[in-house]
Amino acid sequence: MKYAFYPGCVSRGGCPELYPAAVKVSGALGIELEELKDAACTGAGVLPQNISDPINARTFAKAENLGLPIMTICSTCQGVMLQANHRLKSDPEYRAKINKEYLAEEGLEYKGTVEVKHLLWVLFEDYGVERLKSLIKRPLTGLRVSPFYGCFLRRPPEVVVPTKAEAGRKTYLNDLIRILGAECVDFSGMGKCCGFPIITANEQNSLAMVGKHTGEAKDKGADCMVTPCPLCHLNLDGNQSKAEAQEGRDIGLPIIHLPQFLGMALGFDTKDLDLKRHLVSADAVESKVNMLT
Amino acid sequence: MDVTFKVYRKDPEKDNKPGRSNYTVDVAEDSTIMDGLLKIRDEQDGTLAFRASCLRGYCGECTVKANGRSCFTCTAKVKAFTQKGPEIQLDPLRNMPIIKDLVYDWDAFLWNKIKAVQPWLEPGEPASNGGKPVTESEMQDLRKVMSCYYCGLCDEGCTVLPVDFDFLGPAALTKGYRFVFDPRDTAGKDRLKLLEQSKGIWDCVHCFEATEHCPRGIDPTKRIMDIRDKAFKVGISNERVARHHKSFAASVKESGWLDEGRLAVESEGLTNIKGLAALLPTAIKALIRGKAPIPYLHSKRPGADRIKRIFEKGEKDNK
Amino acid sequence: MNEFDVLVIGGGATGLRAAIAAKGAGASVGLITKVHPLRTNSALAQGGLNAPLGKDDSSESFTSDTLLAGDGLCEVDVVSTFAEEASKEVLWLEHMGVPFNRSQGDQLALRRFGANSRSRTCYADDRTGHIVLQVLHEQFQRAQIPAFEEWFVTSLVIDDATCRGAIALSLRSGKFDSFAAGAVVLATGGFTRLYSPSTVSIGTTGDGQELAYKSGVRLMNMELIQYHPTVYPGKQGLLITEAVLSEEAQIVNDKGDKLEKLKNSPRDKICFAMNEMMQNGSGSLFLDLKPLSKEKILSQFPQTHELVRAVAGLDVTKELVPIRPVAHRPMGGIETNAAGQTSIAGLSAVGECACNGLNGAGRLAGNTLTESVVFGKRVGEAASAYAKGLQKKNFPSTQLSDEEKRIGGLISGQSSQDSSGKIHAELGELMNGKVGLTRKGTEIQEAQSRIQNLRVRYSKLRVKNTSKIYNYELTAYLELGSMLRMADAVALAAQARSESRGAHSRVDFPDKNDVDWKAHTLVRLVDGSPKLEKRPVSSAR
Repeated sequence: MKYAFYPGCVSRGGCPELYPAAVKVSGALGIELEELKDAACTGAGVLPQNISDPINARTFAKAENLGLPIMTICSTCQGVMLQANHRLKSDPEYRAKINKEYLAEEGLEYKGTVEVKHLLWVLFEDYGVERLKSLIKRPLTGLRVSPFYGCFLRRPPEVVVPTKAEAGRKTYLNDLIRILGAECVDFSGMGKCCGFPIITANEQNSLAMVGKHTGEAKDKGADCMVTPCPLCHLNLDGNQSKAEAQEGRDIGLPIIHLPQFLGMALGFDTKDLDLKRHLVSADAVESKVNMLT
Repeated sequence: MDVTFKVYRKDPEKDNKPGRSNYTVDVAEDSTIMDGLLKIRDEQDGTLAFRASCLRGYCGECTVKANGRSCFTCTAKVKAFTQKGPEIQLDPLRNMPIIKDLVYDWDAFLWNKIKAVQPWLEPGEPASNGGKPVTESEMQDLRKVMSCYYCGLCDEGCTVLPVDFDFLGPAALTKGYRFVFDPRDTAGKDRLKLLEQSKGIWDCVHCFEATEHCPRGIDPTKRIMDIRDKAFKVGISNERVARHHKSFAASVKESGWLDEGRLAVESEGLTNIKGLAALLPTAIKALIRGKAPIPYLHSKRPGADRIKRIFEKGEKDNK
Repeated sequence: MNEFDVLVIGGGATGLRAAIAAKGAGASVGLITKVHPLRTNSALAQGGLNAPLGKDDSSESFTSDTLLAGDGLCEVDVVSTFAEEASKEVLWLEHMGVPFNRSQGDQLALRRFGANSRSRTCYADDRTGHIVLQVLHEQFQRAQIPAFEEWFVTSLVIDDATCRGAIALSLRSGKFDSFAAGAVVLATGGFTRLYSPSTVSIGTTGDGQELAYKSGVRLMNMELIQYHPTVYPGKQGLLITEAVLSEEAQIVNDKGDKLEKLKNSPRDKICFAMNEMMQNGSGSLFLDLKPLSKEKILSQFPQTHELVRAVAGLDVTKELVPIRPVAHRPMGGIETNAAGQTSIAGLSAVGECACNGLNGAGRLAGNTLTESVVFGKRVGEAASAYAKGLQKKNFPSTQLSDEEKRIGGLISGQSSQDSSGKIHAELGELMNGKVGLTRKGTEIQEAQSRIQNLRVRYSKLRVKNTSKIYNYELTAYLELGSMLRMADAVALAAQARSESRGAHSRVDFPDKNDVDWKAHTLVRLVDGSPKLEKRPVSSAR
């Protein structure tokens, strides 16, 4: 299993614990990664499409030249790329225009054959649940975990679930929690927005969303929340104390990155998963996990 | 067949508290939920309040949640909801203010928000025949957007409305799109400014819930993103957002990827002492944990010059 | 109390256009509507609106086609005016933002629709009504005209043979209020809910006709009800635009035989032919859209595809759709002159609630929306001119409390075995069966006596719901009252017209009789009973 690895900006910026965890865990799983070192930011829905589509087309062309599918570790990267790829694949005239006006100069051409998948989807669709189960060294029994997908891993529907075969994408994270032996604590905000996109434009609303979702999961008895998106992590973890102050309640819910969560079940020493970097202390989770073996 | 409808009730002339009434009614096999409600109101309880108009799925009036699923009572077949048993629970849409029973306060939820985007074309000088030169593909796009029948389902799915009811919402913003992208509209930048106001397009989290909920495939989220893209090209009038977008674009253009530290600082504004000071507590905590990207100490990616070329080309096209 | 120069009653396409025009002509305008404008029956219109815009077209040709469909009962001057103004009005709509389909660059696409001899129907996919209505509502809001939404007009205020305004009930607050106006414009739509099945929204119950009729105004050509040929029957008829017939769709029977030779015929002829086929053992009839490609259906008829699936559970790209002629629109209504004026000073009517002689005995397909905007504008402007020239008079203030008492007297709180719904269901079936597509004197007579029985039942009925806010039982009761009176008028006129012309088909009088019946029927209330009068069609120019 080999992928062109696209780590995104935040996994080495505001969430520097994510990149090493992702690389280590992929290694342990036997997923070979060839990093797209000169690929650029997807635009994250901020850059206008007429600039971000060429940038992403370039990334796709590079992966295509390697003959590899792309793997992402961020819901936002995944979503933006998936939508861009959809546009480039479904409109050959548009793709030809981008190739001609932007990529040709670099000697690149995107032919429209690349698949882009988040690690979460890779596990279920390419890697295989049975193979994953065989590598679990430390089932996370007794750990109560709430899933938080990140919007772009669930929507828009025609891009994320193009056929019935992909319908499982709506529940992979819930399923993974159970597969790794933990208890899945459902809550109504699982697939909703963390508020990160409006942290600049409307901090009040953004923090209200953080408070709402982490608060609800906490009230339902979750020990922690797991998310496949570092931008969600930045808001849910990084701004959780601000949200507590605004909403007038204590929450203190640790937020775990997906690769860290996998690493715990695969038997990694929790020290190697960089949980200490989080702003909301994950010590309670670490102790709970360390008691299991 | 006998069906029991368990209908949400709320009476402003009594205690105005949510309640429920159960009605068992005999309806034909191929009835709609609307048929059931009309029969109940006619034969059992004339006080039951709900709206109805076109009876056939044209007008968007009769949205409701039946057994938790959003639908139109006039096209929802009773059979489809009684597979697990002869009961249908009817509730209002989420986020919806209620006047009485299933009569929604559409003014507060929708009509007033649409009014706030100045929902009319400002036509220019009259032309003699066929109007200004417009293309069929522009008109086709507008017809798609105008197939909206104001059913409120996009607003119901919206992630922002539950935390901020004053957010204009996808329905009103999509109505804004209809004018921004109508080549015959002369309101131009003023219209964009209106949509960029507080509670407008920059308050949208582009979570795509609206797109997922729209029964007509209008893709409201994309429409909002398109307005934002246009504002970016023309010049964003919301200052804070403008700083954020400018900074984001600048660091990707220069280095190929995002300098988050720079973004946080420049979004506040380099002379905004109060705003920058407010960042400090989180920034310090993050520094201690080893999580803070130091602004401006940001390496260039290989291939950054290529990205710069793409930006330059794209920006030229925007002019 | 509310005061306006012009009060428009009815918030559909016609009412909105009239209000915009009246405001534009300098009057102060208020609009009352019992449902929100965007939920009105206008939203159901689909196929398009006619205008002689094509190079090979002319207002003369348009006039001629309209007269032909009207089968001798049109007022020629009204038709000529209409044909001359149509293009200007349709282009006004485009200018205000209607995204009509285009062809060859930016020319308005024109389709050949129904019995139009030229391609002259502009359209916006198959949602023309929905889209035109939105643009009218947009411009209505731009004109900053106060709208009283979900207010139900219960009576007109007539004083000294002049209309002075109206009294209305707010559904939201449950309170009554008076509306004083120099000119009242009724634009309340048709009354086809009288028939079951029909193609219309639940509120299309002839309220405006009833208001005018009660005040002594005559109802004209009430017997002329247009049935639409391509309607999926169900409980609520789902109309499929005949534009599909212009695009290779076919009407077939269950053996697969096609109903040929009916392309570009007037609607009534298609309906009669279909009816005959069904009665002669042809079995059910179906609409076959398969000759159109899937792409064409999805791009040109997206709403049809969507709603046939939602209502009938059928996929028009693959399956046949059962159809039958179903009651659609009246040609008749409140008698008015070309400027929309009724016999009562200060009271006008326009659109589907009115009869100004445009549609004769058969409405040309595609004329309805054009009629809305052409006459909506003319009548709105005329009302404004009239109102501005008036001397101020005191509004008869006791009317409000009288009306409150009257309506209050209808509410009793006591239950009964009978109900509005039961009476309405029987009425609808009766009208469709006995005063429907084809008629016979003995059957109409039977209908007339049964209508009387229903009216007696209705007079005994009271409203049980005593709540003030959103009392739909009360409004349904009032609407039924309108429909029963319309039934009376329709039956009387149908009985009187002893000939067959246009949409009115008498099995016992199968021929057209220009000697006796090139005339309009007029029904007026005299001492509480409907009396019939006649008025010959004005001579042609």
